[in-house]
Amino acid sequence: MNVLTHAPTAADLLQTLRLAQPALSRFDPLPRIISLDDFNRGSCGFVQLIGNYEGSLDSMLPEYAGFRAPMISTLSHWDTGSQGAMGGDYALKLATRAEAGAQSVAIKRLTFRKRAPIRLEFYFTFKPEASEMRLSEADVRSFGFLLDLQTGDTDSDGARVMPHLRFLNASNGQHAQRWQFKRRSKAVHKLGTEDKVVSHFHLSEDDWEDLAGGGQRLCYNEIPTKVNWHYVCFDFDLQTMQATGLRCNDRVFDLGASHDCIRLPAMPNLWCMLNLAFFIEADSAKRAFLYLDGVCLSGAL
Amino acid sequence: MLRHSHTAVIARNEVWAGSAETEPYEAGWAREAVVFITTLSSSGLAEGNRAARVQISPDGMRWVDEGSKLDVPAQTDGVSVARVRHFGNWLRVVSEMPAASRAAVLVTLHLK
Repeated sequence: MNVLTHAPTAADLLQTLRLAQPALSRFDPLPRIISLDDFNRGSCGFVQLIGNYEGSLDSMLPEYAGFRAPMISTLSHWDTGSQGAMGGDYALKLATRAEAGAQSVAIKRLTFRKRAPIRLEFYFTFKPEASEMRLSEADVRSFGFLLDLQTGDTDSDGARVMPHLRFLNASNGQHAQRWQFKRRSKAVHKLGTEDKVVSHFHLSEDDWEDLAGGGQRLCYNEIPTKVNWHYVCFDFDLQTMQATGLRCNDRVFDLGASHDCIRLPAMPNLWCMLNLAFFIEADSAKRAFLYLDGVCLSGAL
Repeated sequence: MLRHSHTAVIARNEVWAGSAETEPYEAGWAREAVVFITTLSSSGLAEGNRAARVQISPDGMRWVDEGSKLDVPAQTDGVSVARVRHFGNWLRVVSEMPAASRAAVLVTLHLK
């Protein structure tokens, strides 16, 4: 037990109250809880990412067309039944099609009210579909997350900023097991005829760069139907629009000089945007699954 | 507490010709599912085709017909519906399109 050696401060009391609340005690949030998602309560605002379009769905960039809707899952497997989630029966599940390179993306769309530090924390696990009685540890290419941000409408440094991070689990059937980031994206395309809608595909296989010192071996376990939950914490400062920290389980990674985000000119209708998204990608002709149980977004007061 | 209600788009602007199926969808939390197929464009289809049916699964990999059949609507913006209960955990919609027909469809599950 921790024993205070000083008169308790407001921060001490807040920390104690949070530790007494199981839903929060597994996170290390900043003072303001912006959202705390427990998927026993439904999908909590996470929906499939859709590409922009105008006039017809056919105008959507083709890369977006294959994304699938997230679902509420009990992590049910053919050999053991429902594992359930980390804290209850249900987790949010993203599933790809059974095709190498297929992706699935779930996004939650918010806006921010203050340019201050924010922290994204979540518990996750990923697996391929258990369609073979093999270890299958290299059938998931990657999972990752991103923020899609834009400054406020009166800010002098107007920009759209998109930090992307992924764990490259495997590439071409070989274990890779390292964290990567992206600072370049594909060209922005105009859609339709009204000169109002654009789109760019920022999750392509190109332009990922290794994070320095970003190798990490996770707990895949020994068959595809045994899953273990992992923790990630990502810090971002909305004031400077810079990522400031990444942690996965016991490892803290340096987002130092080499790391950056995708940066684009500010776009007309995205002011104060604060989107968070998760994605999963298959590396073989087998569905890849990402499960989330508990997503906490917090910020400075 | 209000009960959960969720709409899932399980196929959007997908072109069905020959055999097709939606991806597996887990909804074990729900007591009922309403399946809608909306045709966005089509050719070679007649009304009353009953070309689509609902399937359920013990594991998301092996599938069996649930018993519900529904049209792939012949007209643009046409909607067909099936109501499903006691489906376990997994749902999908499969189609066997008539020869020389095709349809771009929107398939949605309405769960509660």
